[in-house]
Amino acid sequence: MDPFSSEGELLTIHNAFHGGQYSAVINHDTSGLSAENSIPSTVYKLRSQIAIGQAEEVAIELEGQDNPDLAVLKAFAEYSQGSTENAVKIVESLVGSSSDNATVQIIGATILHAEGRSEEALTLLSRHQGSLEAVALVVQIRLSQNRTDLALKEVLNAKRWAQDSLLVNLAESWVGLRIGGEKYQQAYYVYEELAQTPSTSAPRTLIGQAVAELHLGRLPEAEVALQQALEKNPKHEDALANMIVLSILAGKEIDEYLSSLQNTAPSHPFLTDVAQKSELFDKSAAKYRAKA
Amino acid sequence: MQSMLTKFESKSSRAKGIAFHPKRPWILVSLHTSTIQLWDYRMGTLIDRFEEHDGPVRGIDFHCTQPLFVSGGDDYKIKVWSYQTRRCLFTLNGHLDYVRTVFFHHELPWILSSSDDQTIRIWNWQNRSLICTMTGHNHYTMCAQFHPKEDLIVSASLDQSVRVWDISGLRKKHSAPTSMTFEDQMARANANQADMFGNTDAVVKFVLEGHDRGVNWVSFHPTLPLIISAGDDRNVKLWRMSETKAWEVDTCRGHFQNSSACLFHPHQDLILSVGEDKTVRVWDLNKRTAVQSFKRENDRFWVIAAHPEINLFAAGHDNGVMVFKLERERPAYAIHQNNLFFVNKEKHVRSFDFTQNIQSPSMLSLKKLGAPWVPPRTLSYNPAERSILVTSPTDGGTYELINLPKDASGAVEPTDTKRGTGNSAVFVARNRFAVFNSSSQTIDIKDLSNSTTKTIKTPTNINDIYFGGTGCLLLCAPSTVILYDIQQKKTVAELAVSGVKYVVWSNDGLHAALLSKHNVTIVTKTLEQVSSLHETIRIKSATWDDVGVLLYSTLNHIKYTLLNGDNGIIRTLGETIYLTKVKGRSLFCLDRQAKPKLLDIDPTEYRFKLALVKRNYDEMLSIIKTSNLVGQSIISYLQKKGYPEIALQFVQDPQTRFELAIECGNLEVAVEMAKELDRPKLWTRLSAEALSQGNHQVVEMAYQKLRNFDKLSFLYLVTGDTEKLNRMAKIAEHRNDYTARFQNAIYLGDVETRIQMLKEIDLYPLAYVTAKAHGLNEECEAILEASGLTEEDIRIPEISVPIPPPKAIVPTHQKNWPLRAASQSFFEKALLGQVESMTIEDEAPSGTNGFAMDEGAVDGKGFNGDLLDVEGEEDAAGWDMGDDDLNLEQVGELAVETDGAGVGMSEAELWARNSPIAADHVAAGSFETAMQLLNRQVGAVNFEPLKPRFMEIYQASKTYLPATVGLPPLVNYVRRTIEETDSRKILPAIPRDLESVRTNGLQKGFAAMKANNLEEGVKIFRGVLHNLILATVQNKSEIEEAKRIIRTATEYIIAMSIELERRDIATDESQAKRNLELSAYFTKPILELPHRQIALMSAMKLAYTKKNHVLAAHFASRVLANSSQGKNAENARKIKAVSERSGQDAIEIEYDQFAEFDICAASYTPIYSGQPFVQDPFTGAKYHPRYKGSICRVSQVTEIGAPASGLRLLAQ
Repeated sequence: MDPFSSEGELLTIHNAFHGGQYSAVINHDTSGLSAENSIPSTVYKLRSQIAIGQAEEVAIELEGQDNPDLAVLKAFAEYSQGSTENAVKIVESLVGSSSDNATVQIIGATILHAEGRSEEALTLLSRHQGSLEAVALVVQIRLSQNRTDLALKEVLNAKRWAQDSLLVNLAESWVGLRIGGEKYQQAYYVYEELAQTPSTSAPRTLIGQAVAELHLGRLPEAEVALQQALEKNPKHEDALANMIVLSILAGKEIDEYLSSLQNTAPSHPFLTDVAQKSELFDKSAAKYRAKA
Repeated sequence: MQSMLTKFESKSSRAKGIAFHPKRPWILVSLHTSTIQLWDYRMGTLIDRFEEHDGPVRGIDFHCTQPLFVSGGDDYKIKVWSYQTRRCLFTLNGHLDYVRTVFFHHELPWILSSSDDQTIRIWNWQNRSLICTMTGHNHYTMCAQFHPKEDLIVSASLDQSVRVWDISGLRKKHSAPTSMTFEDQMARANANQADMFGNTDAVVKFVLEGHDRGVNWVSFHPTLPLIISAGDDRNVKLWRMSETKAWEVDTCRGHFQNSSACLFHPHQDLILSVGEDKTVRVWDLNKRTAVQSFKRENDRFWVIAAHPEINLFAAGHDNGVMVFKLERERPAYAIHQNNLFFVNKEKHVRSFDFTQNIQSPSMLSLKKLGAPWVPPRTLSYNPAERSILVTSPTDGGTYELINLPKDASGAVEPTDTKRGTGNSAVFVARNRFAVFNSSSQTIDIKDLSNSTTKTIKTPTNINDIYFGGTGCLLLCAPSTVILYDIQQKKTVAELAVSGVKYVVWSNDGLHAALLSKHNVTIVTKTLEQVSSLHETIRIKSATWDDVGVLLYSTLNHIKYTLLNGDNGIIRTLGETIYLTKVKGRSLFCLDRQAKPKLLDIDPTEYRFKLALVKRNYDEMLSIIKTSNLVGQSIISYLQKKGYPEIALQFVQDPQTRFELAIECGNLEVAVEMAKELDRPKLWTRLSAEALSQGNHQVVEMAYQKLRNFDKLSFLYLVTGDTEKLNRMAKIAEHRNDYTARFQNAIYLGDVETRIQMLKEIDLYPLAYVTAKAHGLNEECEAILEASGLTEEDIRIPEISVPIPPPKAIVPTHQKNWPLRAASQSFFEKALLGQVESMTIEDEAPSGTNGFAMDEGAVDGKGFNGDLLDVEGEEDAAGWDMGDDDLNLEQVGELAVETDGAGVGMSEAELWARNSPIAADHVAAGSFETAMQLLNRQVGAVNFEPLKPRFMEIYQASKTYLPATVGLPPLVNYVRRTIEETDSRKILPAIPRDLESVRTNGLQKGFAAMKANNLEEGVKIFRGVLHNLILATVQNKSEIEEAKRIIRTATEYIIAMSIELERRDIATDESQAKRNLELSAYFTKPILELPHRQIALMSAMKLAYTKKNHVLAAHFASRVLANSSQGKNAENARKIKAVSERSGQDAIEIEYDQFAEFDICAASYTPIYSGQPFVQDPFTGAKYHPRYKGSICRVSQVTEIGAPASGLRLLAQ
């Protein structure tokens, strides 16, 4: 039986992880799980730990593990800490040796994509066997390549065999937010459902809701959702970045959020992007000069 | 008969006759045991029993208006009763055998009876006489009924015939003797054929033969010329009649025993019949086919009756009666935001818009749903998919999922419907719904293609399911309600509430009302009980006010309850309704005909209570002020709830006011009221309250009023008021009250008085002892002398040294005890008008003293602040923003999206492709092309000042969606074309639109001008220009407006800059000429009228001080031309008068008041008309030609005189 199906043991932990409820994942009681599900659940727990910034602990814990699931996680933990070169090497060797392992596929592809080697990541992911996470990752990579058409195709494919899955719904929303129009509203429904259900509400889902509302032009509502996200985690970088965007659109002050973002995540794409554009401005502006 | 709903059942012996009361929820049942019972079927109580008949009572009927009923029994008697006096009024004797049925006429004072003596008789119950005996049947007549409108009677007999009788003759004979002509009499005599006895009062019109056995019951159709009869041949026969004949139409076959009674449904095309086969059967009137049948196990049915008004029936059987409905009358409906979706009586789906109070045409027909005559039970609406789920009780429960058409175009049959079996079905998410199956106790979660995605076994036996918040269901079990998480398949919370039938969610989704038959329980979304209340009358429906008040309807009231459980009645109801929405004073509901209705309600009471609970005194105050809420109930409510001080504000009645004032310790009011009423009891209470507050002055007054001298004395003693105590002693003396005198003397320590008093009452021994004790030996002697005794004669005990009364240390009597400053509630203050926030005050800072005048200004009075905000309508001067083609290469080709791998074009790039507007290019991050565009359109060359605007637009262009863990967020692009998906038409959202420029930019600039904050003003207006140079608008008229704003900002910047320049040199006497010139030029730019006045006043005053009287007079005239009233005008008039007398200028300046000229925005010198000039392509500011090629002083961005195509703000 598919362990992620609605009857499966891993559904709760899977949904919690992808809903961004990392502490729920870490605290999830896995003692009653069957043997074949123990590794996947451990993987989720370790990934959650990395996601909340405990990469170092994970790396230490996994020292010397040669199980590909755990080895690739260790590489990921190291990658998150910044020692990218070594991590990429490990991943490359793992991709060579055990490219059928789902964890290797997903973590490997994540690292490869982050390294800018998206095509390699896609090739690796193409070997997946019914892994929704792989599908979601493909969708994200396609979207980051601005290939909304291919991302949509991937989602529609996945919907045929896993319509009810949280990940497919999320991936569909990602694509929907690119397509726009009526899809904004649909994405909003997905995120709103997650964000407003107490058991699945988390900053990530609230941000999703807010982003959808922002694209729908419903700024006050989006602000409420972002405030809620920031209440749950005042340093959530994406919440801060979106809050800045929203504040500008609503004609409000951004200084507070901007300094907060600069402190917590100086390398957030928003900041790097803006810094880059600031340079571009100066360079471009220098080309013009008054005649007199 | 799945949908027959039993409302009431009684246990008794065999019921032979039934009658509904037309107005009240009463039913009369006549029993085989000679008893007549009167039941309240709504409450289920036996109201009365009437036992005067001897033997079975078969016929019974209520009068439709009078408090009367009639009965007929096997004792041959007809009795007329009053249910008010609860006794038999009189008995009509005459029948010679059992009386089978009795009926009142609907308007005439007649009773119709049928009897086993084969006759039908008509009685007048007013004069208690028999007025007609109709013979003709030759066996027992089992039933006879009046026609509801015409002068006809129909009768049924065991002789197997049904007869229709014409009684118009009888009516004429007994109607008031109007002038009847001879012809009329003749006509009447000849019109009807006399029967064999020469009787023309009632004649047989038709004899209907068709039953093979005796006929037990017959009745007319309420509106159509139809008759229905039931007989021992087990058939129910339908007959039709015309003016001249009557015939059998059809037979309803189905009863397998004698059919005992039958009738037409009062409102629907249905026939109901009962029989000894223990069944109630319902037939379709038009098809004569069986619709439903209901069987009792052991009881043969004997009689059936219909309620004349509402949809209720009653059937009598061997063991009592049952009152039932054929169908649920609750229309299926669902509410989404401002729309109501409901199924009407024709089974059409309609919607109703609460905001506009408009009902849509039919959108769908649900004729095919379920069985005919069975209305849908529930409706659930899905706004995301615009689809509905409808359930019907047919076949053990079915549901259908139907998409609503986009436009309501009439009652079309739905095409793409998905159906299945289930008792309840509700949407639980955008793309999921839950179907509950009662028999298997399972809940299927289905997707929109109707395939089951998961199945849940209910945790306990439940009756119904309701939406329970996102991802959850509320399961209603017989004694509990369960909040169930669908995803995790587990019970989240459980609450013991029994018999919940409906769930109504509040608009904000935070609370739900659980309605059971007699209880309303309010719970939070996590199923925690907030409050609960009980109603004796059945609860029908509920809806939430936006402020968190639940309005609910019972069978006969609309009531409300606050979250804290406070409840009350809003109004009474004539008919049952189902509340759908409440908005202010409007209450929307559906009636039993499933028609939307709007009721006016008075929400004052619950609003007030809510405000009280929330301590929202402003609102309470406005409610008190605007509505007459003064009722005993609200006062006692306030008192009970511990708000006597508020209740005090309502009350006029002095007595109540006094009580309330005492309760809240408001002595002032209490004293006032006590004075008004002046009753000892009140003074006593007042004194007690005042004493406890330490307000001894009030206590004193109260005691004085009460003439309570003892207490007064004591009060004076304890407050140390010896003076008054002395007076009390005097008063006591006057009153000849020795005890009081004694007491006062003790208080005062006045021994002499005491002895004197004792002597006066001949108590010499005591006087002596007192004197002795105080060592007043002379006095002792005197006493002894007076009593003729000597010291030796007296033996007195040892006397200790008397204690003098203590002296008051603090002169308490001078002042009341200090109390904590009487804390008036906000509310009281507000009522006294002391709260400033209650009055809407103009927040204009009156202190801003306009332009500080230069030294020696006329009278030092600045520009006062009462400037009017005049909407300027200046036309933007020749500023070309035409639709000239751009030189920009328009990348018009479509992006051919290849299907292969590789990287696509980002949306930002699309934006840049799709738009010729600089702002859009900025949002796309394509700063280079944006600058190119600005350079070409408006000659922009100095971009540095625009950097904040560039960055602002760019920063707001993208959102960051966290997606896969460990990867950077997904970037999405914020569009202003929200509904567009065509990649060639999508465009970015640009912050700060024209509206925000208008309200934030311009207004702030004007405010800066008004506040004389010129540096700031220049910055603000320049900000406006920088904002508009990178902006987008929605239509052509907005382009015009943008031009106008640019023009205004430019004029203001020039004006303010001139004035700033002047201030720099104002103190430099050598620059006096320039000073004057600049002040004159300051009046040139086109400003809003009040601001122009500022400039003119300033120029006028300066010219005046510098003794340039001609100039001053000129400006004075212009000031006066603009406004001839107010202080400015007065000043101007004075200056004008003085100046004109002088008539010369001290300093000659370059300002020709008669010439046409503009001001060069760089040098601030005139450009006379006809002189050459260059313009800035963006602002339109004019310059002397020598400034060509330099940067515009106004915008600081654009190049003066640069070639430009004009700013583009609109994409097409």
